[in-house]
Amino acid sequence: MKLFSTQIVVPVDSNSVLQGALEVKHVLEETIGKYNLGSQVSVVETGALGIYDQGVVLAVFPDDVYYGNVMPSDVEEIVTEHLLKGRVVSRLAIDRNLSSRRLVEKETGKSQQKIVLRNAGLIDPQSIDEYIARDGYEALAKALAMQPGEVIQILTDSKLQGRGGAGFPTGLKWGMVAKEQSDEKYIVCNADEGEPGTFKDRLILEGDPHSIVEAMTIAGYATGAHVGIVYVRGEYFMSIARLKKAIKDATEYGLLGKDVLGTGFQFDIEVYRGGGAYVCGEEFALLESIENRRGEPRNKPPFPPQQGLFGKPTVVNNVETFANVPPILLNGSDWFKSFGTPSSAGTKVFSLSGDIVNRGIVEAPLGVTLRELIYDFGGGVKGGKHIGFIQTGGSAGTVLTDKFLDVPLDFASMKTNNVSIGSGVILVASEDVPLLPFLAEVAHFFWHESCGKCTPCREGTLQVKTIMDTLVNRTADPASLQHLGKLLNTLNDTSFCGLGQAAPLAFESALRNFPEVFDQALAESHVPEVCQEEV
Amino acid sequence: MELDNITRPAGQAQPLSDEDKRFLRELVETNRGEHHGRLSYMDIMFELEHHYGNSLPGPVLGEVARLLGTSPAQLNGFVTFYTMLSTEPRGQHVVRVCTSGPCHVTGAPSIVAELKRLLGVELGETTSDGMFALEASSCLGICGVSPALMIDDDAYGNLTPEDLPRILDAKRAGGTQ
Repeated sequence: MKLFSTQIVVPVDSNSVLQGALEVKHVLEETIGKYNLGSQVSVVETGALGIYDQGVVLAVFPDDVYYGNVMPSDVEEIVTEHLLKGRVVSRLAIDRNLSSRRLVEKETGKSQQKIVLRNAGLIDPQSIDEYIARDGYEALAKALAMQPGEVIQILTDSKLQGRGGAGFPTGLKWGMVAKEQSDEKYIVCNADEGEPGTFKDRLILEGDPHSIVEAMTIAGYATGAHVGIVYVRGEYFMSIARLKKAIKDATEYGLLGKDVLGTGFQFDIEVYRGGGAYVCGEEFALLESIENRRGEPRNKPPFPPQQGLFGKPTVVNNVETFANVPPILLNGSDWFKSFGTPSSAGTKVFSLSGDIVNRGIVEAPLGVTLRELIYDFGGGVKGGKHIGFIQTGGSAGTVLTDKFLDVPLDFASMKTNNVSIGSGVILVASEDVPLLPFLAEVAHFFWHESCGKCTPCREGTLQVKTIMDTLVNRTADPASLQHLGKLLNTLNDTSFCGLGQAAPLAFESALRNFPEVFDQALAESHVPEVCQEEV
Repeated sequence: MELDNITRPAGQAQPLSDEDKRFLRELVETNRGEHHGRLSYMDIMFELEHHYGNSLPGPVLGEVARLLGTSPAQLNGFVTFYTMLSTEPRGQHVVRVCTSGPCHVTGAPSIVAELKRLLGVELGETTSDGMFALEASSCLGICGVSPALMIDDDAYGNLTPEDLPRILDAKRAGGTQ
């Protein structure tokens, strides 16, 4: 066996590849060969490090040095200075505090407590051996040695809640499916990540696909299901490829298939692709899509745990929820509850985007504040500007002023402070970004993505879009804000599924937090003829 | 809107060749094998689009419906629901430009405007040389490098309007950048 004294880790997720990571890796390997370092230094591909605004990033271990904005022409210097002479190339070195592990450490005083992203950026996601070397599939082995009920009890005790946005207790969901009597049951992983501003599931699937395979298999054992299906966004080509490879490798290792780890338990996983429909993130619409139909939601109840895929009891969990399962089984429910707040256990993966210095993925304990996320991790607003507005939770989330910076984010913050956490989107817009055109875009999004099944959503989203457009064009009717208020209430009260029910959130919160912007648009509005003359 | 698309021969009016029929039969059977006896229409449709130049011709859908044991109307309902699929002929390369929140905030409106200008088409249209179809897309999930777009399977991020001619030229020439 070959032992390397130094490892250089290159992230090759979608974001990094399109910044030139593969070319840098190629030059790096050549240069290492040129200086005859091939026996001491290994170059390892990995998933995203969660740092996106630093171009191509390289991490050197065990030195724990991170280099950013690396161009192929910089490689020679890194090899000759750092690898040969042991001197850090300071002009390229970046602050590794950008990596989210630090906050978890700061909050808890414990090291290495990145839960969901425990392997992202550390292992080669295409290597099952590296996953196994980091305690991979140990949780599965542990679960298979327990009674299914014990597995569910640990999850229930851990207070893990769904990370897709709704926050439903995972242990409770699994328990509901376990107690159903049925010849067939299904485990479905919702990887149809479509909430604008969310890119965490992509990072998990590209960076640590085996964690999802392992967790789904555990769910199968706990609930008595033998088939798992991952429904992945159609545009996530790399996620699909990595997942398929992980499933194939796990099957070859006997971790999936007819006889999982020699216990006689059977479990298989298949990948289904989405076709570009936001509504398919809704669990019943997703199941309809797997059943080869239009992705339109079904009536509830019955809920998926009673009658889900093909009418059978079905667990539907988000990617991030599943990624939490193996560490909980390995470390116990008390360990998991030591992170987060009394109402919300564990960590959350946040996606930072917009006018922020360090865009990327951050895993932080629930209860973290927007200020910590935006200023400590995000590095503040680009160009030293002020915050114009912040959207949290996604397009189906809340639009906030900077007065909300110190609200702790957890599953209760919507109820207590009107701050949505949703899928973990933190979208920052500087003072230069006008609010109304942004909201018009959000309105356009919901109108486009409404599936058309129910009238309130199909027609309501169109009307919201129309009113927002008139506010932007300054052609709004004097009564349009009253109309908008009524429309939003109707959408929320009468829409068939979560899409229409949550669509009003952005507009309601914007009306509440930025009334002056709407008032000004109304005051400046003229009858259309006058407008045309002005143009 | 497109309900009669199945029976109306789209594009070429000639019936399917024996080779087409064999290709379709094998495609469906391979898919059945991959999904343990179930089927994924979506996978089949993506394969068809790949094979028939980014769209799903009516006669092909008619034959596939027969092979899948479903009605042409059901299948048409399926394909017209999903944004990534098209029953109308589209350009050789599909440009999906993201217009969602994070891209909007960081400059998508100017990217969209420049694409329209460079290609001489509106959103949802194909260039007259049949090279590019320009489509607005909801979030592509690469918000860390917004504003972003995808051309076919390739993603491009941190875009400025000045980057676009180079990207389009490279695609036109048959490379990936």
